[in-house]
Amino acid sequence: MYATLALSWDMMFRSGQPGLSVAGFFGLGGYAAALSFLYWGVNPLVSIALGCLFSLLVAFILGLVILRIRGLYFSIATMSLSEIFRVIVMNWHRFTGGPSGKALPSAVFNGDSAKIFWLFLVLTLLTVIVSEIFERSRVHFALTSIRNNEIVAKSSGIDVFKYLVVVFALTSALQGMIGGAYAHSYAFISPEGSFNFNFVLLPVTMALFGGIHSTLGPIVGAVILGVVGEYLKLQLPYGHLLVYGVIIVIVILFLPKGIVGTAKERLKRKWATI
Amino acid sequence: MQILEIENLSKCFGGLTALNQVNARFEEREIVGIIGPNGAGKTTFINVISGVYPPSSGRIIFDGRDITKLPAHTRCRLGIGRTFQVIHPLQDLNLLQNIMVGSLFGQGNGLREARVKAQEICEFLGLDQLERDTSQLDILEIKKMEMARALATHPKILFLDEIMAGLSADETKEVIETIRTIRDQGITICVVEHVMSVIEELTERVIALDGGRIIAQGQYKEVANNPRVISAYLGEEE
Repeated sequence: MYATLALSWDMMFRSGQPGLSVAGFFGLGGYAAALSFLYWGVNPLVSIALGCLFSLLVAFILGLVILRIRGLYFSIATMSLSEIFRVIVMNWHRFTGGPSGKALPSAVFNGDSAKIFWLFLVLTLLTVIVSEIFERSRVHFALTSIRNNEIVAKSSGIDVFKYLVVVFALTSALQGMIGGAYAHSYAFISPEGSFNFNFVLLPVTMALFGGIHSTLGPIVGAVILGVVGEYLKLQLPYGHLLVYGVIIVIVILFLPKGIVGTAKERLKRKWATI
Repeated sequence: MQILEIENLSKCFGGLTALNQVNARFEEREIVGIIGPNGAGKTTFINVISGVYPPSSGRIIFDGRDITKLPAHTRCRLGIGRTFQVIHPLQDLNLLQNIMVGSLFGQGNGLREARVKAQEICEFLGLDQLERDTSQLDILEIKKMEMARALATHPKILFLDEIMAGLSADETKEVIETIRTIRDQGITICVVEHVMSVIEELTERVIALDGGRIIAQGQYKEVANNPRVISAYLGEEE
């Protein structure tokens, strides 16, 4: 799950825009999926798709507005979006259950954990496929140009705004999709659980840890940090986040390109000397 | 035939008027030079025409169409190509990919055509080892790469902003020849340049700017001997 979030964040970051709305669209997709299932009896899998579509739509409309700003300002705007979603959900008692959230009658596949695992795996694969399509098509050229120099990008015929909005909407949709799956796997949804800031911080850290601007990096980062995180949780029930933080600081200080980025560079150098 | 017409173009940055009521025309297949002391508005002129900044007032007519309100990427697709005074390699793309960007988006080609097109342009400009990172290129190669990226957008008019700056005499000669060949393919060229010998050798017509205004226009000899141009460069005689 974190692999998807980390990767989808990185896909937007390839354009140089550090979005912080991962938790927002994750939660939004989660609520859309859970509520459509609860109220209209939509099939759980279809409702996950609905969560994905709903996030896509909302991100597209909001993207038209907030993608006029860049860099840190964009970060702050997207972060506040998450917060706004959370506040709306908290206060719309009748529909969303307010602060106490909503319980679903049963988890997806009746809580069969093997099937849930496969569901997440398929969704992660889907994200990997989208990311690879980005990397191997003109989208890669557009996003890299925008990140390196927006004026050159514009002057070379790239519709910067269009690319940013579309990518923002698509990556938010992936986040909404995984949010839906998350809600259905726990059969429960609450504002604090879904719009949790950890769903931004951890994916971003994982992407930085593994190596940004690639498909492999965020996935490797998510797998390593995910496993380490679970292990630490067992060993140090309350201190695990601290150790986690120290690891992250060390890696970012000594491997600023992340694990995959550094490994690639080493390999390249080796090839060059041969 | 006329390719670009600029009417009463002005651009203000706060209280500073960088361009003041500029009128100019560019004919097809012409090589025009723009000169002027630092801060005369030369680069602003290119930036406003290519769409980096919106003009404060005035009109820009390109190929019979009013493009004053169009965004930069649309102008590029219509056929306005440019390079930058300060070099701007896209550092996370290699040499060939940098040029492909122009072809992919400026001309709307697919990846495969863009690659072929970029390779052709590289051959024409004498660029090789196309898989290199931009950090491994020397200054001449970077300047050629920027020119190639602009050419790959298939422009009808090409603005070259101080492309000769930092090049040796031999390199300058090579680039002058290249620019002539580009013109012979039917592209209008507008060079902004500080090196007067280049302007003299290359251009058919010169526009001199100072303080955002056109102070002289015509053949190089006339403009260079124009008292207003001399005083703009050297200051008033006491």
